[in-house]
Amino acid sequence: MKKFFILGVVGLLLASCDTDLETGEFVVGSDYLGVNNKVILVDTLTLEVSTINFDSLVTSSQSRLLVGNYDDPVFGKVKSDTYFELGASDYKLYNNTSDTDLPNYVFDSIALILRYDRYYYGDTTNVQTLSVHRLLNNITPDIDDKNFYNNNSVPYTSESLGTILYKPRPIAQDSINITLNTVFGNELFKKIKNNEFTNYTEFSDYLKGLSLTTDGGNTSNVIGFSTSSVMRLYYSKSQNPDEVSLKKDFSILDLTRQFNNITLDRNGTLIQNLPASNSKLPSSLTNNTAFIQSGTGIACRIDFPYIKKLKNLAGNGVIVDAQLLIRPVRNTYSETYPLKDSLIAYVSDHLNRISGTLNNSAGTPLYAILDKSNDEFNEDTGYNIGIGTFLQKEMMKESAAAASLIFAFPNISKAVDRIVIGDQKNADNKIRLKVYYISY
Amino acid sequence: MKNKIWLLLIVVLQTSAVFSQSISSSPYSIYGLGTLYDSNFGPLSAIGSSGIAMPSESFINNRNPASLSFIKKNSFLFDIGGKGILSVYEDNSLRETKNNFQFSHIAFAFPLTETSGISLSLQPYSSANYQIVNYELPIQDSDESYFLNAFGTGGLNNFDASYGFKAGKKTSFGVTASFLFGNIEDDRYYGIGNSVTNINKNSDYRGFRFTLANQYAIDSTLTLGATIKIPSQIQATKTETVITENNYGSQTTETNVRSDVDPYYLPLEVGIGFKKSIGKGVNITFDYERAFWNTSNQSSLYGNYSNQDKFGLGFTLQKKGRINSYFDRIQYYAGVNYDTGFLEVDGEKVNNSAVSVGFGLPLDRTRSFINISYSYGQKGKITSDLIKENYHKLGINLSLEGIWFVKRKYD
Repeated sequence: MKKFFILGVVGLLLASCDTDLETGEFVVGSDYLGVNNKVILVDTLTLEVSTINFDSLVTSSQSRLLVGNYDDPVFGKVKSDTYFELGASDYKLYNNTSDTDLPNYVFDSIALILRYDRYYYGDTTNVQTLSVHRLLNNITPDIDDKNFYNNNSVPYTSESLGTILYKPRPIAQDSINITLNTVFGNELFKKIKNNEFTNYTEFSDYLKGLSLTTDGGNTSNVIGFSTSSVMRLYYSKSQNPDEVSLKKDFSILDLTRQFNNITLDRNGTLIQNLPASNSKLPSSLTNNTAFIQSGTGIACRIDFPYIKKLKNLAGNGVIVDAQLLIRPVRNTYSETYPLKDSLIAYVSDHLNRISGTLNNSAGTPLYAILDKSNDEFNEDTGYNIGIGTFLQKEMMKESAAAASLIFAFPNISKAVDRIVIGDQKNADNKIRLKVYYISY
Repeated sequence: MKNKIWLLLIVVLQTSAVFSQSISSSPYSIYGLGTLYDSNFGPLSAIGSSGIAMPSESFINNRNPASLSFIKKNSFLFDIGGKGILSVYEDNSLRETKNNFQFSHIAFAFPLTETSGISLSLQPYSSANYQIVNYELPIQDSDESYFLNAFGTGGLNNFDASYGFKAGKKTSFGVTASFLFGNIEDDRYYGIGNSVTNINKNSDYRGFRFTLANQYAIDSTLTLGATIKIPSQIQATKTETVITENNYGSQTTETNVRSDVDPYYLPLEVGIGFKKSIGKGVNITFDYERAFWNTSNQSSLYGNYSNQDKFGLGFTLQKKGRINSYFDRIQYYAGVNYDTGFLEVDGEKVNNSAVSVGFGLPLDRTRSFINISYSYGQKGKITSDLIKENYHKLGINLSLEGIWFVKRKYD
């Protein structure tokens, strides 16, 4: 009996003893650690880089009046005109307790107040001409497609309502004023004084809309104005010069009836022969470069024709990360033509049909982010994006229908930023892909 | 008797709880099935594990099943033990101390006839407990590197059923069937580029192995012994999960996918030993064993293995003649052990050498003892890729003898 009692005590002692579970920082035989799971870096995977051309981009409802033009040394002649309709909350003059003053109201002036939305591209130190035209038709959407595109336009009067020659100061100033035709203003004033408009439809039937364009010889920049810009009618209670001026604002009430017509004249450039929108122009035909431009629909497509070969690296393996570095070609960007800070990626098929943006697992788009660090010689300047999971899916795909990535700027529909990037054979600014793979 | 059986059951349950905790942590245990145990019953750990030629009279000699033929009629042997190990790990720049307590074994044995006996025992076979934190490794053919975190837990257990019988006055034979089973979880995190990949492997192992053994008494002072462990395989299956975290979020490659793994080969092992009485109660025991790992076709999955030699030498002292006091009945032990190792790490074998002393305290008038042993040993050496483990090992075990099937005269 005593023996078994001792046995129990010893057993309990053993059970209660404490053990240090953790071994420290020691590693023996580091070679062995890589035996079961080999980590491989592939940086020689072929990338087919090409330029594509979307035939149309939706530019209505973008909340920007984009207007101006400039001659791009690489892309050609860039031009943007903007079209919009105006309206007001009511179509009456100043309304205080008594209307007895009304008959004495007199017209002072009319102006278009364009508020900068801080977007600009090109040389803002040069003067630019803007002119305002009256639309001949309303901006009426189709029944089946309510959008307006970068290649749409609406006819307008050849005679302008007002013109300004100005040096844009989109950051330092808030707005510019374009004084409009007095005859036009006076007529509008009288119609309102006579209560000829009771609603938007009646008003827009009279004033079908305005367009802003640059029809002078100046070519220097493209500027973005806010859709909070207004046409302002100034009037007074009497002709007494001391009388306080009253005003009536007409603003852009319906953003779906505002769009920008953005055009590019590529004659004489490397991309003058861009193929149809379902085709591509290989970088080998354009000096080992590819092109991206917002507003005009020019984008860069990257294909991964040999991605499935990575399956042969091991029996079982997975792409855990892939870092794509897209480098802008040196001397194609400058302070006048700066680099945007990110690129967005779309997933497409071989006919450039986009299925969506390249997203993370939460459905948020992934961006290629500009890294300017260590850029003393601009050698490392480039856009970084992780496409590991995209490539893993491509590698494992059963079907032959490979997906491509199309890169554009996030502001593709409302700006004219552009970039020239190098392909894998570009002398100085090669695109680079590092694929990290582990066997398991 | 009934009470005793209940008590025994409680002890077994208690120890099996300890069993699941039996872990020894060693950086070397990342290889193969982990670090192998030497389960030594009775006084064996104090005499350099040299027991191939010893009988199972007062304790269960797990070194040689042929010894079971020596169990006295009506006796019932029970053995349970544990170890406390203080290890000092050292490499070129670091030094670290770890404590470890573990269950060592539980076993019992009884005679079948006057000339044969059997034993059953349960003991750890191996332990894979390691931790690697933020270890930087180069990516081949590039100037980049990746980071590894690895955590291993688990190990294999060994259930032995042994039988020994006398084939004559001088010769005994024995056989052991060992069932090896267990589970090792290997949880690794690879920091590669801007991603972290978790590869979790949970491997199940099971296999059988047979040992054939012999003991031969040349005369009353000299016994020889031999054992042959038959080569066998431990079958392995794993369930694996691979999940990557990168800028996409969580990318699951596989979840609990079951597959077969290359089996682990156990090589042919042969051992010989002798026990010689040189008078005045002094016994000398010596064992030599060789394991033929070279021919075992081991998969590189488990590491590089090569032939192993093990030597054990032990001395036992017990006063002969008139026993006057309790102290006269104490047994004293000393031994040395050298093991070339079978694991090669970057071309270097991981060897092990130890010296040990101990004593056996008798419990009552049967041949029951509390055995206490102390060993000091060294494993590996300090090179660029190896570390040295110095360890102090304190072992305690109870070798109990009960008398079965006899109606007591006095109670």
